[in-house]
Amino acid sequence: MKKTLLISLLVTWSLSCLAISTYGQTETASQSASPTTTSSAEESDIKVLKEKVANKVSEIRQKNNKAISGFVISNKSSFITLKTYENEEFEVELDDTLTKYFKISGTQKKEIEADVIEKDDYIIVTGVLIDKKITANSIFVDEGFLVETGKVTEIDKENYSIKIVTTAKDNFTLDIENSTKQSMLNIKTNVTELAGFSKIKEGDTVHFVVKQLASNKNNSYSAVKILIIPQEYFLK
Amino acid sequence: MKKETLTAIIFGIFLGGVVAFFIINKTKEIELNKNKVIAPKNNLNNNKNLPDNTQMQPLEITSPQDGLIIDQNSTSIVGKVEKDTLLVIQSPIKDTTFFAAKSDFKISFPLALGENVIKIVAYPRNKTFRPQEKDLKIYFIDSEL
Repeated sequence: MKKTLLISLLVTWSLSCLAISTYGQTETASQSASPTTTSSAEESDIKVLKEKVANKVSEIRQKNNKAISGFVISNKSSFITLKTYENEEFEVELDDTLTKYFKISGTQKKEIEADVIEKDDYIIVTGVLIDKKITANSIFVDEGFLVETGKVTEIDKENYSIKIVTTAKDNFTLDIENSTKQSMLNIKTNVTELAGFSKIKEGDTVHFVVKQLASNKNNSYSAVKILIIPQEYFLK
Repeated sequence: MKKETLTAIIFGIFLGGVVAFFIINKTKEIELNKNKVIAPKNNLNNNKNLPDNTQMQPLEITSPQDGLIIDQNSTSIVGKVEKDTLLVIQSPIKDTTFFAAKSDFKISFPLALGENVIKIVAYPRNKTFRPQEKDLKIYFIDSEL
């Protein structure tokens, strides 16, 4: 009995000694490390981590950054409702600190206030798009254009207008103004040349650009420019 | 019943099954070959003269992607189209027409600040093919990226 007790005591004492020595070693090791080195190493690690997080955030932001455009239906203090050319409605969420507002004029853009944006303005919104809601990073007031192509079905020589039916079977009436840039494909040289209204014939294919309007029931537009592919090209 | 007899019966049933399966399959194959020609041979030959849309390289735009936001005032339009096709690329600021000498094409195209609606139309050399269209909306927004 005494022998067993003695062995137990010895084992307990040995284990205690081992535990104490281990604890002591740890303490010594941490104390021996230079505080300056640890601090600078940690700072460097934090800096690298911060950079990684910033890069990742930027990457995700770029990936999710989408742009939509359309006419403003309403502008309330915290959100704008817009309608695209395809008649889709989107809710634009505005943020007092994050969202920036610009107006594009030619090659320049100017920062504007949010309340300058009015109903029927054409705007481009960039931000994170989820379903029909976009959280706006930037809003640009711009001009919207339509670029279409179709065949000439009717020519009104008195009013200088042409009727066009597109491949999607949409009908357009185009007013050819003095300012309209008109060009035509020369079927012999295959080079585009300047042309006049008198050159347009029924059956010709016309590529055209018009400025989008907030409301246009008759699909009647003033043409910005037209490019005519004469029907003879398709008979060659 | 003896063990040998039972083994012989099982083996016989198995062999019979294999032969039956082979005969049924072969019969089906022969019937299918007999009924293969549905349309008269003349009609099949005439169809060769019609334009086959599947043979033509359709207009494909590989770059840029629709809806792209970039911070440069020009982009490269890269794509594939049937050889010798007339391509018309139009946007509010630029019209370009050219013949694609190869099936791959690449052209530098200018962009205006803001939204750029670009329409690309391909008129194949074979006039019996329909023109093909692609629309792109590219946003040149310098402060975004």
